[in-house]
Amino acid sequence: MPTNDTEPVRTRRSLLDLLLGVGFIGFAASALYPVLRYLKPMASAGPGGPLKLTADEVGKLAKEHSIITRLGTGRVLVFEDAQQNLRALDARCTHEGCTVQYVPGDSVIWCACHNGRYDLDGRVLAGPPPRPLALYGCTRDPDGSVTIQPPKKGES
Amino acid sequence: MSVDTSNIAKEGGGVFGWLDRRYGLTPLVEFMKHKEVPVGVHSMFWYYLGGATLFFFMMQVCTGSLLLLFYQAGESTSYESIRFITTKVPFGWLVRSMHCWSAHLMIISLVTHMFSTMMLKAYRPPREMTWVTGFILLSLALGFGFSGYLLPWNELAFFATAVGTDSMKAVPGIGDFLLQVLRGGTDVSINTLHRFFGLHVVILPLVMVGLVTAHLLVIQRQGMAPPQGHKTAPKGMRFFPDFALRDLQLWLMCLIVLASLAVFLPYGPHIPGIEWELGKKANPLAPAYPGIKPEWYFLWIYQLLKEFPAHFLGMEGSQAAVLLVGLLMGAWAMMPWLDRRAQRDEASPGFTDIGAATLIFLGFLLFKAWDIGGGGIGDKLPDPVLTARICAFWWLGIASVATALRATVLHQRYFLFTAATALQIALHGLLGMQYLAAGGIALVALVIGLLVLRSRGQAVPEVRS
Amino acid sequence: MIGLLLAALFAQTAAAAPAPAAALPKPLAALADGKHKDGTPILTQKQRDTLAALPERTIKLLSDAADSMILGSPEELAALLSLDVQPQVLDLIATDNCVLCHADPMNQKPKALFSPDPKAAGSNPLLNLRELVSDVHFRAGLSCAGCHGGKPSDDVMPKEIATRWPAEEVRHTDRSWIPEFCARCHSDTQFMRGFNPTLPTDQLAKYKTSKHGELLLEKHDNNAAQCVSCHSVHGIRSAKSRNSTVHPQKVPETCGKCHADPEHMKGYLTSAGAPLPTDQVEKYKKSVHGQALLVKGDLGAPSCTGCHGSHAAQPPEVASVSQVCRRCHAQNGMLFDSSRHKKAFEEHKWPECGQCHGHHDIQKPTVSLIGNTTDTLCGKCHAENSKDNPKCNETAKHFRTTLDEMIAGREEVSGEVEHLAEMGLDIEPVTRSLSDLDEAVTQSKAKVHSFSMSTFDAAAKPGTEALQKSRQEIGEAHNEFQFRRRGLVGAIVFMMLLVAGIGLKLRELERSRKDSDKP
Repeated sequence: MPTNDTEPVRTRRSLLDLLLGVGFIGFAASALYPVLRYLKPMASAGPGGPLKLTADEVGKLAKEHSIITRLGTGRVLVFEDAQQNLRALDARCTHEGCTVQYVPGDSVIWCACHNGRYDLDGRVLAGPPPRPLALYGCTRDPDGSVTIQPPKKGES
Repeated sequence: MSVDTSNIAKEGGGVFGWLDRRYGLTPLVEFMKHKEVPVGVHSMFWYYLGGATLFFFMMQVCTGSLLLLFYQAGESTSYESIRFITTKVPFGWLVRSMHCWSAHLMIISLVTHMFSTMMLKAYRPPREMTWVTGFILLSLALGFGFSGYLLPWNELAFFATAVGTDSMKAVPGIGDFLLQVLRGGTDVSINTLHRFFGLHVVILPLVMVGLVTAHLLVIQRQGMAPPQGHKTAPKGMRFFPDFALRDLQLWLMCLIVLASLAVFLPYGPHIPGIEWELGKKANPLAPAYPGIKPEWYFLWIYQLLKEFPAHFLGMEGSQAAVLLVGLLMGAWAMMPWLDRRAQRDEASPGFTDIGAATLIFLGFLLFKAWDIGGGGIGDKLPDPVLTARICAFWWLGIASVATALRATVLHQRYFLFTAATALQIALHGLLGMQYLAAGGIALVALVIGLLVLRSRGQAVPEVRS
Repeated sequence: MIGLLLAALFAQTAAAAPAPAAALPKPLAALADGKHKDGTPILTQKQRDTLAALPERTIKLLSDAADSMILGSPEELAALLSLDVQPQVLDLIATDNCVLCHADPMNQKPKALFSPDPKAAGSNPLLNLRELVSDVHFRAGLSCAGCHGGKPSDDVMPKEIATRWPAEEVRHTDRSWIPEFCARCHSDTQFMRGFNPTLPTDQLAKYKTSKHGELLLEKHDNNAAQCVSCHSVHGIRSAKSRNSTVHPQKVPETCGKCHADPEHMKGYLTSAGAPLPTDQVEKYKKSVHGQALLVKGDLGAPSCTGCHGSHAAQPPEVASVSQVCRRCHAQNGMLFDSSRHKKAFEEHKWPECGQCHGHHDIQKPTVSLIGNTTDTLCGKCHAENSKDNPKCNETAKHFRTTLDEMIAGREEVSGEVEHLAEMGLDIEPVTRSLSDLDEAVTQSKAKVHSFSMSTFDAAAKPGTEALQKSRQEIGEAHNEFQFRRRGLVGAIVFMMLLVAGIGLKLRELERSRKDSDKP
């Protein structure tokens, strides 16, 4: 083989190797990145589940006797009754879906939209609501934190 | 890649040498070095489809394993965990979407692979077992699709599974038993989900891997089938590295297609039977709604079941339909033994035509199952007569174009089966005859045609009685 | 009376000997086998099956009635069996000679015949057997005798029938005796306790205060509604029954029988002296309350009686109409009371809620009512009555623009959401923000009734924040999709490089093979 031919062939070959190398490394990176991100555990893994109120929310609850918080996609009303028991109810009025509120003076849950009234277990007392509010589990742990548990049987 | 491995083996150095001294790898390497792929008469394309199918299967194994890390089978977890994967886990949407797309692409390449094998008569001796293992692999792939469909436990999957498993009871004698074993009870329930889950992630993969190995081993042992009419292998292409590198190129292209589809159509192309939007969670007590269809590769069976009346020849309609499907599938599996010309390595244009006719037969049923041209929009139900007519136009058109191409480009001269299929479609779609009645007339016409051809001494596909 | 009846029932049940189920007692069997003149059986197969399925007790009672010839004809048996009622009701019929005698088409003139289909039988439409047996009084065992006099056990109609009523010539021309007649029982707390202790007993007292009562009792105007006009005569049902004429969903129709009939309402005037309109029911049906009650089936929504009262029906006066609305719309009422409009409305003697929202035709209020231009309710009224008050106009404008912004923003965002969901992006955060926004829109719409900028803003602020947040989340979703697309393009570029590299490698391989073949 003539020597003047070898040089371009060699350059071409090393260029080709570079191309293959870059291509392979890039491909491997773009394939591995999603897989590694997928595998890395997330901060709060698992769908749904019980909710722990934040310190702010616990403070507000102590001060105002009731708060409204999110659980999944729903709203939950957490409140303290006259005996200082914590209770939690679905905050969406069963009539038109407005957010209800706790009226400590009357010991009722009240919906301002159409004057619907519920007792503290969510049963309808007066007004147009067709169904009772769903009752959530609510416990105060010894350290003062509050945990809310979704109703046992999830609505469809 | 072009390193001469035999030299290293001789010198006994390196990892290969170490392994070679213990396991005697040199003959294997020699075999790989000399393995050749026959160069086809028309195109090499058909030889790559098996590889593409293998690629999609490997993608299924990879993405499936990843999904398994988050999926939790159970009444209150299945749907939720899939939802969690697609919305919350980083790239979870990509993994699920690729798993779904790859499943459909695998079936597509598998079916294409099978039809190319059929058209090229690659099943002829001595490769009968390659065909049979391939056929079983197809059935397994369909089983994968069917069992995987239920796992998200959403409404669509629930009803499709209820309908799909229900046809099981039409199997004569053991139908009820089969149905209950499959469902884990008399109705589709969470027990069914657990059974399908086990099937989908353990039982089927084990069998599949074993059979794929067997399929590949017989191919490696016998080499790929040369084009028909070439007793001695024609000019070949080296399998390694020439063919293998081309395979790799194709795999990369497949991956590009797969990833693009997964990103731009994460829930499928929104065609009934090719979509996987999660929708609502399954509720076993909710009433079924119209438009529930199984996945597209089952649609021809679904449509055939609809074409049968309540009672047919003293059987229940669905029993007759299941029997017909069983017979057709059985005949398909026995193809290498039915095609006696190909057994003698003679041209068998009749079976080529059977392949073409089968495609038209299945395509027409698929279009009908999709209610193409039926005008069903919103609450309006599609009109079956109109559907049959429009689908007939479509498939008569496709059949004529295909036949013209076969006649001019491929110089084929045998179209009897295609003609019979077209006759059935025309009678049913254009003249409004019952599907089965039209099929009966077409069958009689086919038999007469075969007899005429035989009396004239022309090429008749010999079928062992 | 009931006690006697029950005692009779028990006695008969105890006495009933266990008879073979298939064989009917002779008197009943004779009726059951009755045939038409042409020889076809009178009882249909279905009626025969119904008869065969009756419990022994009922069979015995029917047979006794047949034996004493009061259940007199196969035709009557067929009519009773065609009612498709529970056996207990048949027991009541079988022990009530009034009904047995008046339901026999063979012995009774059409004029006095109770038939399941009075129209076909040519009898008075009030004499509907089907209605009668579902009447709450009949079911409670009061029987015909409760109103007409006599006893259900009498074999022959006694003289004292209808003697409790005014003479026949009077009773149809002056209906004012009816309320008092019903009240004999319904105002008697002691008596009513034995039937329905929760039922009020003040209906007559209320009725006397109503417009209807005033017209009927004082002016003896027979056009005015009394008890049976609304409750019907022989088919009176509890208001809880869906078939009752006073079930909430039936009330508009019942009131409309008179109030939507221009002929009937001719000559009646409003307190202002204008002819009384007759389009209230039609308007109501289109109103938000009518739609909620009649279409959505929300039984909490008010019908006519919700605002006018039932027995004390009166048009609510200007002073009280807003109190009526407040029964449900309490929050809005309170807000209004503490607003500056309260005083202004009082000065003008305007009905508070109705002035802006209307009454029978109340629609779901939209933001188009609010604003400072004359094509809005606020703007128009202020232009006419309170011209020199730029601050009010400013407030109205602020309400309108804030609400418009939130509503238009929601529209825009929710349009995007659908698209993003289709692209496989996580839309849960956005839907959450949108539900916060909806809640804020509802709240701030209510707070409009305070007519105070600060009260309104306090409610609207979470809404504008939620809107902003949802826009931001939409932006994030777009970015995420952009990231996906870019990542894909990058990966494809690398893969194409690899494909091209392999292609070149193959070419080189073939070339070098050719070169090595040459020598």
